[in-house]
Amino acid sequence: MMNWNLYSRGDKFFAIVVSILIGMFTAATLYPFIYIAAVSFSSGFAATAGKVVLTPIDATLEAYKYILAEPMFWLSYRNTFIYTIGGTLMSLAFIIPGAYALSRPQLKGRRFFNLFIAFTMWFNAGLIPFFLNMRDLGLLDSMFGIIIAFAVNAFNIILLRNFFEAIPQSFEEAARMDGANDFQVLWKVYVPLSKPAIATITLFCIVSRWNGFFWAMVLLKSEEKIPLQVFLRHTIANLSDTDEFALNVLDAAYSAETVTAAIIVCSIIPVLIVYPFIQKYFEKGILLGGVKE
Amino acid sequence: MVEEHTTATGLPIEEAVIEAKEAQRHQVKNDRWTRLLDHFRREWQIYAMLLPTIVWFVVFLYKPMYGLQIAFKDYSIFRGVANSPWVGFEHFETLFSNDQFLRAVSNTIKISALNLLFGFPAPIILALMFNEILNATYKRAAQTIVYLPHFISSVIIAGIVITAFSPTAGIVNTVIGWFGLDPVYFLTQPEWFRPIFVGTGIWQEAGFGSIVFLAAIAGVSPSLYESAVVDGANRWQMMWKITIPSILPTILIMLIIRIGNIMEVSFELIILLYQPATYETADVVNTWVYRQGLQSGQYDLAAAAGLFNAVVAFALVMTANSLSRRYSRTSLW
Amino acid sequence: MAGVSLNGIVKRYGAVQVVHGIDLEVAEKEFVVLVGPSGCGKSTTLRMIAGLEEISEGELAIDGRYMNRVAPKDRDLAMVFQNYALYPHLNVADNMAFGLRIRKMPRDQIKTTIAETAQILGLTNYLERRPSDLSGGQRQRVAMGRAIVRHPKVFLFDEPLSNLDAKLRTQMRAEIKRLHNRLGVTSVYVTHDQVEAMTLADRIVVMNDGRIEQVGTPMELFNNPANTFVAGFLGSPPMNQMKGKLTENGAQIGSSEIKLNGVTAQQAGRDVIIGIRPEHVTLAPGEGTSPLPIALDLVEPLGSEALLHARFGDDNLVFKADTQGDIGHLTGVGEVHIPALLVKIFDADTGRALSVGA
Repeated sequence: MMNWNLYSRGDKFFAIVVSILIGMFTAATLYPFIYIAAVSFSSGFAATAGKVVLTPIDATLEAYKYILAEPMFWLSYRNTFIYTIGGTLMSLAFIIPGAYALSRPQLKGRRFFNLFIAFTMWFNAGLIPFFLNMRDLGLLDSMFGIIIAFAVNAFNIILLRNFFEAIPQSFEEAARMDGANDFQVLWKVYVPLSKPAIATITLFCIVSRWNGFFWAMVLLKSEEKIPLQVFLRHTIANLSDTDEFALNVLDAAYSAETVTAAIIVCSIIPVLIVYPFIQKYFEKGILLGGVKE
Repeated sequence: MVEEHTTATGLPIEEAVIEAKEAQRHQVKNDRWTRLLDHFRREWQIYAMLLPTIVWFVVFLYKPMYGLQIAFKDYSIFRGVANSPWVGFEHFETLFSNDQFLRAVSNTIKISALNLLFGFPAPIILALMFNEILNATYKRAAQTIVYLPHFISSVIIAGIVITAFSPTAGIVNTVIGWFGLDPVYFLTQPEWFRPIFVGTGIWQEAGFGSIVFLAAIAGVSPSLYESAVVDGANRWQMMWKITIPSILPTILIMLIIRIGNIMEVSFELIILLYQPATYETADVVNTWVYRQGLQSGQYDLAAAAGLFNAVVAFALVMTANSLSRRYSRTSLW
Repeated sequence: MAGVSLNGIVKRYGAVQVVHGIDLEVAEKEFVVLVGPSGCGKSTTLRMIAGLEEISEGELAIDGRYMNRVAPKDRDLAMVFQNYALYPHLNVADNMAFGLRIRKMPRDQIKTTIAETAQILGLTNYLERRPSDLSGGQRQRVAMGRAIVRHPKVFLFDEPLSNLDAKLRTQMRAEIKRLHNRLGVTSVYVTHDQVEAMTLADRIVVMNDGRIEQVGTPMELFNNPANTFVAGFLGSPPMNQMKGKLTENGAQIGSSEIKLNGVTAQQAGRDVIIGIRPEHVTLAPGEGTSPLPIALDLVEPLGSEALLHARFGDDNLVFKADTQGDIGHLTGVGEVHIPALLVKIFDADTGRALSVGA
């Protein structure tokens, strides 16, 4: 269908223009990351004076030294790992059995339970009742509270349920005839058969945990419990609010801008490391959970 | 069996018939009971699997819905949800005479409208362009890059925006400086907030959003293009005459979803980017709720605003779904 | 090993009843085939035996034990599915071992069992392969292997050959038959293919519309179909059926009259359906035959024999004739001869077979 040699001159021109436009959009997407990386490796003076465009100016590691020497950085990094790993495992522990049960035709009240879960996608009580509920449950300023309260969401359950439903029922039946109970059917047959869908959900969980910010900011009061994103937010806010800091370090090796940029780089790196592994899954996954015909 | 029963008890025929019918009915009922019991005895495991999820939904999502009643109460922390006195629609009256709240509603709609106008076509155009790229490696690499910002947290996005738009150090003002213009304090100026916010949204989501449309394009039958080639169509004509009409249902569904989500603005990013100077254009319902409720402790009033938002959003989603059902015979769920 | 007994089995989905009371005794070591058109309830019946569908009414016993309320895993049956349902993430050996592991059979015993079974099925060289790397026939064998290793009381087959091409189907059919002769396990086999039914079964159960039409050995059903449905279902091509009226010593079909054996004068005038199998007509008159004039439409050579498609009045008829290496002599056929002894007569209203002379 698409064969360069069969293209007319006009088609070739069109294809080249499109390639260039795509290249520009891609470059525009990439540029802010490059810019931030360049700032993080520049001297405070060069950054503050707005000299950084594409490459580090007066290259230095001072900004990194500053944040890596900050104990809160390490603590919040550790916390983020705890929230990400603990939260993702918690999510899977709820979602996999729940989605399996909802996908079984023999489940009585299946329509009701599906509606019960889907309804929360269309209507939710909002910030205040959720917050007050967390307070009533005694889950304010609790790491466990963060992990459990965001463990499940309707979208992920429905995504996995749709996947389970698409697996021919005869696999379940064959396993039952072979003597398996429901737990064995799920664990030994359905989970291995659903690797792409489970990988997608795991990915969604990891990303949303890694990036989770708002509720951690609202619910957590103790500094030693905050995740990286909240620490990052505090740092950015403090650095840019403190004129003093900016003035004092004008001639220093780092500045508010370079430190901010360095923290951003540090917190993006894990995402960049995982990204290639997850990319092959999410394109499929996003469609799985999408429109159901 | 019925006859035996009659003879055994020696009842008059009519009564015996009645009793037999009763016995039969009893047996049927019994049967249904035993069958139900059998069902649970055999299938209890799937109910056990479902239970934690259901409990979770009740505790974390449905219980707050019960708590929504504080929107109609004079809520105090000490009395709790159930014991606070009812005040009817007082909070709603307060809301609708509150200029800040009304401004937040209007800002929500305006920001959503801008998002729709510029943010909605972007991924479609991107997908159509990707479809024209012949070199698979180039296409793959470009896709990998444009999907990436979707996975970056709003705190980092905000950090990048703040750094890039900084009056002295930011690249944007550096570039402006090249043209001899004075630096602009972008993030403190209300008229710049919405363009920056919507533009950031496009940068972050256009690539990822194109996945759905690329999948729709992949589903178009190649024979349509082949017959178009035979008919002498060029690529530009094929895009307009084949690709776009073929993915129109997908476009329509995605548009309806967007309309259904008008009340949902990504308020996390707004909280990170706005400041009192830009409230005028930046403050949306959810950021207002956040300030009134979580920062100032006016829980009942904020809950009322949240309820208003949720009800409007729910109505929009329901309308959107019924529209989608009517026009595309495809339900969103 | 054991028999299966169905007593008044009914299946309802809500208010819709799809199986209307099945009574059937499958003897120990017997191979019974349930055959019928799609939607006749044969698969549902099999699935009720398996325990995959609840039984709405009636009793099921296996090996003399009441089974209605027993979970499938405790019924000690093995089933071969239409799509094989081989676990794609496990190799052949693990697929076969799945049920044994779940039943906690000791490791070395699993190993020997699988080795033996693989030997029987010619799968020894494929044990390490995934199902996706196997051909259709090999997958089919693995599915059977998975059933065999369990040494169940009863084998259930749900259209196991329908995903194979015609040639492989013939081959696997023979293999199943050999396997049954060797293992002698009670088997219930569901198919819509009457050839499979005829070739495999000890007894055939013809089902239609959720009911049993007839039960019997293949030859019983072929020779003495109980009604027009069975007559039209078994045999290929199926039995020709023509409307007619009984006369004093035969039957009137259109303007022709054919002789029948043992017709009594009292029955004359009764509306009937006359059935004659394609292979039972002759081209030349013989003893006890009556001629039937036909209008020949089409001759389809099959090799040693040919199918003659012809019309008689409004009825389309099909006959078989020997080609003797050539079909030239068949193109001019204008009448066939019907042997009185082989004609079947059915009641025109009920479709039931009439024993002529009774």
